[in-house]
Amino acid sequence: MRFEKYFEPASIKECCELLVEYGKDAKLLAGGTDLVPKMKAEVLAPKAVISLHKIPGLETYKLCDKGVTIGALMPLRKLSLCEDLNKWPALKAAAGHVSSMQIRNQATLGGNACNASPSADAVEGLMVYDAIVNIAGPNGDREVEIADFFKGPGKTDLKEGEFVVSFFVPAPEEGTGAAYRKFAIRGDTDISIVGAGARLLLKDGKIADARITLASVAPTPMRAVKTEEFLIGKTPDEETAKAAGKIARDEAKPISDPRASAWYRKDIVEVEVYHAILDAAAAVK
Amino acid sequence: MANLIGKSEKRIDGYDKVTGKGLYASDYYNQFPHMAYIKAFRSPYAHAKIKKIDYTKAKALPGVIYILTGYEDVRWDDFPKMAIIAKDEVLWAGQAIALIAAETEEIAEDAVKLIDCEFEVLPFVSDYYEAIKPDPVSVIDPEYETRAQGFQDRPADRATNRVSPNIVGAYYMHTGDLEQGFKEADIIMEDEFSVGKKTASPLEPATAICKYEPDGGLTMISNGAGVHGVIKEHICRVLGMPESKVRVIQPYMGGSFGSRLSPYVELQTALMAMRIKRNVSYRFTRKEVFTAGPSNWSCTTKVKMGAKNDGTIIAHDYYLCEEIGACVNNTFFSGRLSSSGAAPCYRFPNMRMDTFAVATNTVPAAEYRGLGCPEAEWGIEIMVNRLAEKLKMSPVDIRLKNIIDPGERDIYGEVITSIGLKKCLLGVNEVIKVEEKPVQDGSVWKRGKGCAVAGKQNTPLGRSEAKVWYNSDGTIQLFISCDENGMGATTAMGQICANEFGVDLKDVKVIKGDTLCTPYDNYSASSRTTYNTGNAVMIACADCINKLKTEVARVYGLNPKNVEIKGKKAILKGTYVQEVDIPPLFKHWTMFTQGNWGLQQYSPVVGYGVYCPAPIHQWGPDGKSDRVWNWFQYSACAVEVAVNEETGVVKVVKIASSADTGNPINPEIVKSQIQGGVHMAIGFTTMEEHLYDEKGAQSNANFSDYRLPTIGEMPTNENVFALINPDPLPDGPYGAKGMAESITVPVGPAIEEAIYQAVGVRLNYYPMTAERVLAAIKEKKAREAAK
Repeated sequence: MRFEKYFEPASIKECCELLVEYGKDAKLLAGGTDLVPKMKAEVLAPKAVISLHKIPGLETYKLCDKGVTIGALMPLRKLSLCEDLNKWPALKAAAGHVSSMQIRNQATLGGNACNASPSADAVEGLMVYDAIVNIAGPNGDREVEIADFFKGPGKTDLKEGEFVVSFFVPAPEEGTGAAYRKFAIRGDTDISIVGAGARLLLKDGKIADARITLASVAPTPMRAVKTEEFLIGKTPDEETAKAAGKIARDEAKPISDPRASAWYRKDIVEVEVYHAILDAAAAVK
Repeated sequence: MANLIGKSEKRIDGYDKVTGKGLYASDYYNQFPHMAYIKAFRSPYAHAKIKKIDYTKAKALPGVIYILTGYEDVRWDDFPKMAIIAKDEVLWAGQAIALIAAETEEIAEDAVKLIDCEFEVLPFVSDYYEAIKPDPVSVIDPEYETRAQGFQDRPADRATNRVSPNIVGAYYMHTGDLEQGFKEADIIMEDEFSVGKKTASPLEPATAICKYEPDGGLTMISNGAGVHGVIKEHICRVLGMPESKVRVIQPYMGGSFGSRLSPYVELQTALMAMRIKRNVSYRFTRKEVFTAGPSNWSCTTKVKMGAKNDGTIIAHDYYLCEEIGACVNNTFFSGRLSSSGAAPCYRFPNMRMDTFAVATNTVPAAEYRGLGCPEAEWGIEIMVNRLAEKLKMSPVDIRLKNIIDPGERDIYGEVITSIGLKKCLLGVNEVIKVEEKPVQDGSVWKRGKGCAVAGKQNTPLGRSEAKVWYNSDGTIQLFISCDENGMGATTAMGQICANEFGVDLKDVKVIKGDTLCTPYDNYSASSRTTYNTGNAVMIACADCINKLKTEVARVYGLNPKNVEIKGKKAILKGTYVQEVDIPPLFKHWTMFTQGNWGLQQYSPVVGYGVYCPAPIHQWGPDGKSDRVWNWFQYSACAVEVAVNEETGVVKVVKIASSADTGNPINPEIVKSQIQGGVHMAIGFTTMEEHLYDEKGAQSNANFSDYRLPTIGEMPTNENVFALINPDPLPDGPYGAKGMAESITVPVGPAIEEAIYQAVGVRLNYYPMTAERVLAAIKEKKAREAAK
């Protein structure tokens, strides 16, 4: 693994300047759990590596009435165990399902998102809650909805000079339940064959709002929009969950790879969405 | 000192390994001055002609020292030369075409990218069915001279009666009257079985560090197996080196499981060191462990069995084909080794066994724990379970009915001198209670139980030697060259030695794996170390003790038979003292004594032992011989599994495995071998498998996609039962024999049966991945719906 330059900018502005200067030849270092293996395998060969760790405030979170802002460098394990974030159980669960404990100690929420792998677990937690991505750039700050942030495997909406500083996760309404389920063969250590997130807002026993998100079954983390539409107005029971699972199965567009065949991923989507919906419904207090 | 045999002494190497103080080959990787580092240029294609290759740019890169190609003038001879470096034709994706030595690893990597190679891609075969079909693609292009031995005797495929150009060797064994056997059978069942390809995956990749000595000789530090019998022999033979100038040292090995018996990196590193006259280091990346190192060989079997209503199996028609990858000129392969375990468990009065091997354009196969037995016995054990079901018998009873008793002859005509298999089976059944239905909890996880048994031969692999020093202070040094793959052999050898002298294990220092000072041993394979090297150690100790007795007897004017050695003391009969400390009998030399005769300080009494089992008797045209294998190790396994009927995921929730070790030297080490073997087998029967892309290259050559089991795939501690049910081996040291390989064999068929009991589906292929299990469940549901 080789690179020519290594920077530790101390401010967001300095970081943007470096990103502009090096353009495509620069890569940001957060936890490094994706970057380092990719550089070792020569999938990525940046000339400059820019560490984010000297920029103050990126590792913290801040609660407000409307939700929480989580810094891009928040380690996933810290996130998964954070008592202040109990309002967002699916986000905590999703972060807690990323790989091994050692990796989660090192890996960050921002890194998990910007790596833009379709199988990213923590991202599913952000998708479930309609998080907003806060981006800093040479031309000022901007916001993007998480679902619009991903453009393909390894591709994001970030323009030259931009990087993610934090995520805003809105507080769920009263009557919300959410869950995230990861399906993999060797537990969390394995990359997900399917990830399924669900958030249900119940009013008078009926589903008033729903989010169904899927990992590893499309070029990007995806929302199962038709499944969501189907759920509105239904009672969150077994029958509904079963039918929803079937719709999600049709929405998923997986490929076959060494980890699983496309048909198997579709079957698992059906199973896991069914369980995620029931888990989410059971989580409504 | 109490008897040390059967005592679970702490491992000699335990402290070093647990604290990280022990040195492995990797620790020496960059520890010598003037190192050069090797990186390989490898074929991306499964089969191609090298049309043009240009090294100009690579050679011109500053820091590049030498580029080694298949055109080096060395005597590859009978070594599978294609496995070393390709010449005109590449036979699998991952085969080396050139090796570059450079001042740093990075420069070598860069130089590899500068090699300009033009390939003409040729058609390839990557599985058994493609290789064996009528008019298949030939694994080797006839244009080239790489075709060798093995190919002279090409058997026809029994099913198609056609000769495939890819078949490399065959073995036939017929006993009794098969036709009559099937006539007498009350039920007959048959099916076809196969398994995936796997890589042994030791955690430390193949590593060799070669020091170029001032006298033109080599000192190699390697984690390969067999310092004398594999590495030194190959370096001397292939490179034409004098034996006096080659020294091989084996530090702690980071695992082998058979894979390090193929000295690919050692030969390449030694050759490079000789060419550039410098110290050279070479280690495989994990990808190279998969694509350049050996895999196992997978087997396809066809099993047809006939049984009487009482469960007696009276006819067995067995066909086996090894798929050996591109290991095309190795006469090792004929199906003979794989099928060796098929016979020593059961009587099979009428049996036809036709076996052979077929090449494909995949990584060359070589030894992998079990030597083909897990693959060969997979179908047999499943068939026995199916017969039991059909006959409404317990899977335990049907086996007890057919398992050979000690002293009987097996189908080859060999006498079985040690078989504790029935005890093993009863032992594991006592834990799992296979005949009792498991408790179902109403969830999607369905429970099932199953059992299976296995045998594995021990091949007479030649000579083991041992040397022992009784020092003048009463401490003992044992010199041996068996491999310590991690199995605990060093401790077992130390215990045998300490026991012979009647001292504590801590009083014995074991020195091993350095051709300069430790005596010859072939290598540790076929679970032979305890038996083979152990016998040599006992003989060496006896030799040393006899010499010591003679010396002590001289001091007191006694017949040596009146002296007994007990550690640091000698017990004397017929003289004025009854007990004497031995160390003071060693005298310091002075100019006024004859210190150079008799027992002298700092001059140890030396014992030497050689043990070599009787060789194989060549079998006749019927495949029979009264002497082929030394002995057989046996194992039984019973499991309880939970199968998720929604996802097909199989979890082994409880497992009992029993080894017939003969008398175990160190029971706790045996138990950890059992646990390790079970874990390994859970991995390769439920998860691990090579996958290939459209170019025929392995698409999962990494630990993310090749699913080696983690500790999470093992049942929890209290649900793992490692049992020892010995039948002492008459010619083993203290009645001990080997056990490490047989453990892996019955795990797969036991899981298969348990899956069937849980969800009602049969699997003929392993790994029994979640995907395959779910596919079978869906197929069953579709079948039931169609009714």
